[in-house]
Parts: sequence; structure tokens; C-alpha cells
Amino acid sequence: MSNDQLTLAPAPPSEAAEQVRLEVRRFLAEELAAGSFTTHVDTWLSGVDPDFSRKLGARGWLGMTWPKEYGGHERSAMERYAVTEELLAAGAPVAAHWIADRQSGLALLRYGTEAQRKEILPRIAAGQCYFVIGMSEPDSGSDLASIRTRGTRNADGDFVVNGAKVWTSNAHHSHYGIVLVRTGPPGEGPRGKHQGLTQLVVDLSLPGITVNPIRILDGGHHFNEVVFDDVVVPGDMLLGEEGNGWHQVTAELAFERSGPERFLSTWPLLAEFGRRAAATGDPAQLAVLGRLSSRALALRQLSLRIAAALDRGELPDIPAALVKDMGTTFEQDVVDEVRRVVDVPASLDSPDPLGRALAEAQLHAPGYTLRGGTNEILKGIVARGLGLR
Amino acid sequence: MTASDQDLVVETVREILAGHEPFVLTAERQWDEGLWTALAGAGLTGVGLPEESGGSGGELADAVAVVRTLAAGAGAVPVAEQLLVAGPALLAADLDLPSPEEPLTIAVDGAVTAEPSDDGDGPGRFVLTGTATDVPWAGVARHVAVLATPPAGIEGAVLAVVDTAGLGASRAVNLAGEPRGSLVLDGVGVPGALLSPAQVTRVRARYALARAVQLSAALEQVLAWTVQYAGERVQFGRPLGKFQAVQMELAQMAGEVTATTALVDAAVQALDRDEETVELAAAAAKVRAGEAVETVAKLAHQVHGAIGFTQEHRLHHLTRRCWSWRDEAGTESVWSRVLGAGLVADGGDDVWPTFTRVV
Repeated sequence: MSNDQLTLAPAPPSEAAEQVRLEVRRFLAEELAAGSFTTHVDTWLSGVDPDFSRKLGARGWLGMTWPKEYGGHERSAMERYAVTEELLAAGAPVAAHWIADRQSGLALLRYGTEAQRKEILPRIAAGQCYFVIGMSEPDSGSDLASIRTRGTRNADGDFVVNGAKVWTSNAHHSHYGIVLVRTGPPGEGPRGKHQGLTQLVVDLSLPGITVNPIRILDGGHHFNEVVFDDVVVPGDMLLGEEGNGWHQVTAELAFERSGPERFLSTWPLLAEFGRRAAATGDPAQLAVLGRLSSRALALRQLSLRIAAALDRGELPDIPAALVKDMGTTFEQDVVDEVRRVVDVPASLDSPDPLGRALAEAQLHAPGYTLRGGTNEILKGIVARGLGLR
Repeated sequence: MTASDQDLVVETVREILAGHEPFVLTAERQWDEGLWTALAGAGLTGVGLPEESGGSGGELADAVAVVRTLAAGAGAVPVAEQLLVAGPALLAADLDLPSPEEPLTIAVDGAVTAEPSDDGDGPGRFVLTGTATDVPWAGVARHVAVLATPPAGIEGAVLAVVDTAGLGASRAVNLAGEPRGSLVLDGVGVPGALLSPAQVTRVRARYALARAVQLSAALEQVLAWTVQYAGERVQFGRPLGKFQAVQMELAQMAGEVTATTALVDAAVQALDRDEETVELAAAAAKVRAGEAVETVAKLAHQVHGAIGFTQEHRLHHLTRRCWSWRDEAGTESVWSRVLGAGLVADGGDDVWPTFTRVV
């Protein structure tokens, strides 16, 4: 079969996951009732609420799969999956900790020094320490290995960093970034530029760092440009191995690309639409609800299979690329499909919650298929999985 | 059966299929009788049906494996109907299973009424009158499990077993040439059982899920053929698969196929766990598989070029079946309304909790 690289075993059923799912659901209902948050679309990018993140940390719902000695809870990826999808479905404000919990902590666990782990991981798990991804640059988007931010060792063995990162979500609320820099020359051949790249754990409060806001379509401030001007990063904040940055970044991607946030960003819109379809009983609306849900159910199975594979210690980067490509396309299609069968103008000022959800989802939509690797890049990875390149 | 037993079963089906290449179905040659005889001889037409009822034993997963293998091989035999739909439906209704060596199919459409008969044959016998339409393998199957309307005032439906010997079937075929004719029942006395509305729903859901299983396997094979062709066919000095535009198409196909298989697998597991809640799982699987056909069949033909548009090439054996199977046992339109209504059945505020319980 040609698609062996894409096929994963079904996820085993998990009683523990169903248990924690109900706990999270109860918690969210209480928080909603208490007015501590309101449901929005795409809140894993836009919903920054440190208080809410700390509440999750206090309940043991961050760093769930990590060892207890680093503040983790040694639970399965399936349990973590249930927690994250419940939070996303409710449109809860999870953006502050999202990156740290999803991938930065894991990178530290995998490649970090004991001191880095002891210092940082318990704070992430407590919902108190937030990370940004320092990959893209003004001149390096999909062609990540062409980055120009440099880290040069000084006489003390520290890294002097110069350059700029962009699309750095929530840098203005975050404490650290895992920043990919060039520390050595590229090698020969087409993949030569993968050499000489290094990841650094950068404290964003260091002198020489400037965070400039970049507003997205709805005026929201989530993105930033982060400029590094002779920033001295202590040598002991090297992450993993010098020159091994490309490999380490690639390992992060299976986690970055496979989670339920890759198809549930617009779920709050779909849920609002479900309320409308229930109220009208319109068969055309029910059909759209059913069709979109069948796609979401399939994506959920794929995403669950990847979570189970990660639990087994595998690194399914090709299935992760596939689920992100399909999932983010779905997130956009939700907007198109819903508006074909309701006569509700999209507006952030709409008196109708469906109109507001449509507006939020539409104005965020271009980002879904760009962030974390464009769908063109992802399809290229899938094509590699098919043996075509 | 263990997993390795299942592998052995699949291997046996493949070996038998290798001796029975798919052909263009015609009025003279409506099905692959030789393939059926070989499968029946090996006990493969009773897989998943209990031995005490005359089957070959094994689990649902084994029956699904047989059906998948035959679907991918475009086997023109009523095995999906027998193993996944009609056989289990008869057993669930405590009706006798005809010998699995003779093809058994399912009829859920048309206008057939069932009157209890008091002709001395005792309870559990009915007289069927009317026409069953869109009957898969009509004119080929020896027995048909027919869903018929009970007398006024009684809910549900009668599931009856009709021996088609001597009965007339009008010929009609689907896009792949598979028989889908009507069966005229003119006061035929047959054994049957009254099913509750919930039981009727399960029969229809099983039928939809069976088609979804066939679709997922056929779509996987279409993808494999297309990837293979793109690697072999050279234009402008390069295999088609080296062109980025073609890679994008193949990646899109792979996404559709992988998503469909994951959901269909999960729906089969849901059926295995609890048949009573299978309706929404089957609905989702059928809708997803049907939707995947749009992209996969279209792009498969696009990549294959003109040769794939001919009966000389094997591609049509599967693409024409896919275009048919997505319509049969309920279109995406029908099942998406069922799924949508099911998701809001507890009120519109519970879409998410209901969603997480579908599969």
C-alpha cells in the first residue's frame, strides 16, 4: 500500500481520558456561569488570560504528560487530548500557556539541561510561564532554513544574538522564546543549510530585545516582531546541541501540527450554528451541520491516532502534516458552509451571536492555513510520505 | 480469530481474487459467479457469522477485512450485503440464516407490505405484497432479507426472508453495472419477524456502514493505483509525480482517503462495541466516505489522463463503483440530515458532548 507512512493504528479507548473530560466539562460550565470567560473563536491564538491559565495549572491540566519531578502529572497523551479539545470546543482563553504546554515544554524535556528543566518546567505546568516560537523571520517564512538571525559565541561562551523574528504570537505576554538562530555556516548541497542552526532558550526580558506589535485583520494584537540587537544569551541557555537546531525543530512539529486546535479553531462558530439549526429545524441547515461534523469526526480520529502514536514514542510528522492540512482547510470551510445556509451578516457588532462568531471566524480565517506551516508545504510533506519526492 | 488469522483470511481472499480479474458487467454476465463459488468453497462467505447458525465464525473485524479486500479488488459478489447487513440483521431478529454458500442480499427500499399469515405455518410467517426497489444483486442473490411495512397501527417493520427462486426481478444496474433491480412480491408467504423502529434504524445503519467500508477500501486502492501511475508515466522527461501540481493533487487524495479510513474504522469499532448507538456513527462514516469520492475519483481520473477514461484501463472498475456506492444505502444528503438532527436531538446546546460520543 502506497500510503503506509500516512496510516496509523487506531487510538485505544481510554477510560481515564473520558473521566478527565467530564471534569474539564464541569469546570468550564462553572467558569462560564461565573462569567470568568466568554466563548470566542480561535482562542488558542487570541484568548490570553493568565488567571485562567493558572486555574488550569492548579487543576493539573498543564504539563499533563510530563514527569512529576518537573511539575508534570505523568498522564497519557489521550488524557491531555481530552482536556485540550474540551477547552477548544468551549472557546476558552487558553492562548497564554498554549505554546509552552504544547511544544516548548516537550522540547525542554527532550533536549534541555537538567537546570533548564528544573527552572522552567514547573512554572509552565503551574500556568505561570509562557513561551513563544522563534522560527519565522521577515525574509524566511516557508523556507525556514534560510533564517538570518545569528548567534555568535563571545569570549565568555555566551551567544550574542542579532536579527528579527516575526509572527511571534503573544510575545508581549510571554517569558521565553525558543529561538532558532544560525550559529555556524551552512553545509554543501540542497540540504546543506539545515546545518549550522541552533535553538536557544531566550529570556524575553533580556536587554536588547524589542517587541513590536503587528495587528491582524480584526485589529487584534497577537502577532509581534521581536528584534534582537546584540542580545547576550547565556551559554547555558543553549537548547540541546549546537548545530542540531533543524533536527530539533522538526521533532517539535509533530506536536505543533497534530493537535485538535488544527481543526477546532472555529468550533465555537459551528456550535452556535448548531443552536440555530436546532431552533429552525431547517433540513438544509441540519445537513450542513451533519456534513461538517462528519469531517470533524474524521479529523478527530486522525488527531487521536497521532496522540496515541506520540504516547508510544513515535514521531509521526507526516500524518501530522496531513491532519493540519485537512484540519485547517476544514476550519475555513466551516465559515463558507455555514453562511450558505443562514441569512446572518457577519459582524463583530452583530446583535446575533452567530453573526459575531461568523465575523471572528472570517477575520481569523486566513491564518489557519498559514500558521505552523502553510498547507502547500504540508502537502509537499504528504507527497514525500507517498514516496513522490 | 486472532490478528494473524485475519491476515490469513485476507491473504486467502487476495489469492482467490487474483484468479478472478474484474470484468465489465453485462446483462449476460451480471456477477462473478466463479469468484463467489471459490469464496464460498473456502468458507469466506460465512465469515463473522456464528458457526451454530451455519456461518464460518470469526468477528465483525474479520468480516470487514473480507469485505474490504473484495471491494478493493472490485469483486462482483454480494459479500458486503451478506456478511455485514442481511446476515447479522436476520440473526439479530432470531430468523434462520440461509446457507452462506448461497448469496443473500438486503432490500430496504420500495413499497412492500407484510401481513401476518394464519395459513397454519404458525407465528413468524408473513405474506409480502408489493415491489422492493433498488435491491442490490436482484436476480443474482438466492435469498433477500426484505424490510416490509407492517399492518396499519403497528410500528417498525417486518424483516422477512424471501427465497427468490421463481420470482421475477426487473433489471436495473448502478453506474458500475452491478444489478440493482426490483423484486415483485405477489403475495409470497415467507418467514419474518417484527422489528421495532430502533431495530429498523440499525438495519439501515448497517447497510450504510457496509457501503462506507467498501468505499474506504476502494478509495485506498484508487489512491495506490494513482500514486503508482504517477510514478510510472513520464512526460516532459519526468514522471508525473515529480510535478508539484500533481503532488498537490495526490496529497489531497491521500488526505481524503486517510480521513475516511480513520472514521470508517472507528464506526466499525463503535458497531462492535454497541450496536444500539450505531446510527450516528454509520451516518458520519457514510457521509465522509461519500464526500471523499468527489475528490478522489475526480483527481484519480485527472492524473490517469485519457487512458483512465477507457474501459481498457482498470481504474473504472473502482471509480464507477465508488460513484454508485456513495448513492446507495442513503446518500450523503440523507445521512448528513440524520447526523445533524442527531447532534441537536438533546437541544442545540449539546452539540459538542453529543459529537464526542458519536464514535
